[in-house]
Amino acid sequence: MGPIIPLFEISEEINLLIAFLIGLGFGIALEQAGFSSSRKLAGMFYGYDTTVLKVFFTASIVAMLGLVFLNDLGMIDMSIVYVNDYYIASAIIGGVIMGGGFIIGGFCPGTSVCAAAIGKIDAMYFVGGSLIGILIFGQTYPLWEKLHFAQHIGPVKLSDTLGVKDGLLGLIVIIAALLMFWIGEMAEKRFKREDISKEL
Amino acid sequence: MKARYILSIVLVSLGLIAAILPQNQNSSLELDAKQLLNEIQVENYVISIDEMANAMINDDPEYQLIDVRSKEEYEKFSLPGAMNIPFDQLFNEEWAPYIDQVARKNVFYCNGTTLASDAWMLTRQKGYKNNYILKGGLNNWYTTIIEPDEPTLTNGQEAMYDYQARLGAKQFFTGAGAADNSSNKKKAKKPVPRRKKKMVAGGCS
Repeated sequence: MGPIIPLFEISEEINLLIAFLIGLGFGIALEQAGFSSSRKLAGMFYGYDTTVLKVFFTASIVAMLGLVFLNDLGMIDMSIVYVNDYYIASAIIGGVIMGGGFIIGGFCPGTSVCAAAIGKIDAMYFVGGSLIGILIFGQTYPLWEKLHFAQHIGPVKLSDTLGVKDGLLGLIVIIAALLMFWIGEMAEKRFKREDISKEL
Repeated sequence: MKARYILSIVLVSLGLIAAILPQNQNSSLELDAKQLLNEIQVENYVISIDEMANAMINDDPEYQLIDVRSKEEYEKFSLPGAMNIPFDQLFNEEWAPYIDQVARKNVFYCNGTTLASDAWMLTRQKGYKNNYILKGGLNNWYTTIIEPDEPTLTNGQEAMYDYQARLGAKQFFTGAGAADNSSNKKKAKKPVPRRKKKMVAGGCS
């Protein structure tokens, strides 16, 4: 039981190698889902393509069910699973900036690298823009530091906040996701656009 | 379209199962009885008196002696360099950084071994590493270092070396060649000599 690979018991190099392999897998999955096309990504906002919603919600459902079942089989220790700290202000502001960048640039940070890797020039510009953004944020960090750490709630889980079991929350998320999938597919029919990828 | 129905049904039923399951609290760090038994049998959690004495003489920072007896007993007599964590306060918050750490070897001791073994067992069960027991406790310390038995000729050379080392340790801990073997007296601090006040100079004398 416990972590399959205890983080501090393997060398730094192996650790990075594992991270590299996981990153490769993530990139392949993104590319397979068609996320290197900004038409597909922007489709989420216009309603003609909801692949993004489906892929990411499916991924989280798989991970969620996996954790719930592994926990029940006694194969994982949830108390040492890392949960991100929640900072309300940063989460909202970051979410707005991320969404804005997403619809303006047509990529999210992960997919932009993916698309740049298969040679899309707009994605390369996007990656450059991200790097400039990171540089500006890093250089002016003292200005944002207070905002960054404002309204810290700590590593909270939705199930704890709502006071329900993890499994029950899982069921709620699954039902919500399925509803969104069906609505998404209805929207795809309603806002259908001609496929112009052959002309491009 | 049919695939979508099947997928939806599978997902919802998996979700239902997940919702019904009791939420276990697993703890990978704590050892169960079987693992603990295994560790006890291997017996690599004891530190011999000779090893400890050697470390103390060399001022080895790797070892931290922890006296698990009561505060009164600790104040009456303790090994040099030992800190006191009374057994009943073992899991107090203030001691957590000392007993749950990876930097040093903690060596628990008491008069015999009972309290120290209990302390080791409790901390080990919690999953803390780097805790050890001083073999035989203070009683053994006394018979080994303070009043070592002289080996007979049949004991072999190794026993003789051990004996010599123990005599050396005895000198170190009790004072060279002292006739009085009691180690119960703490080494008196060297008094800092005060400067004598100078006489007021000058004036009309």
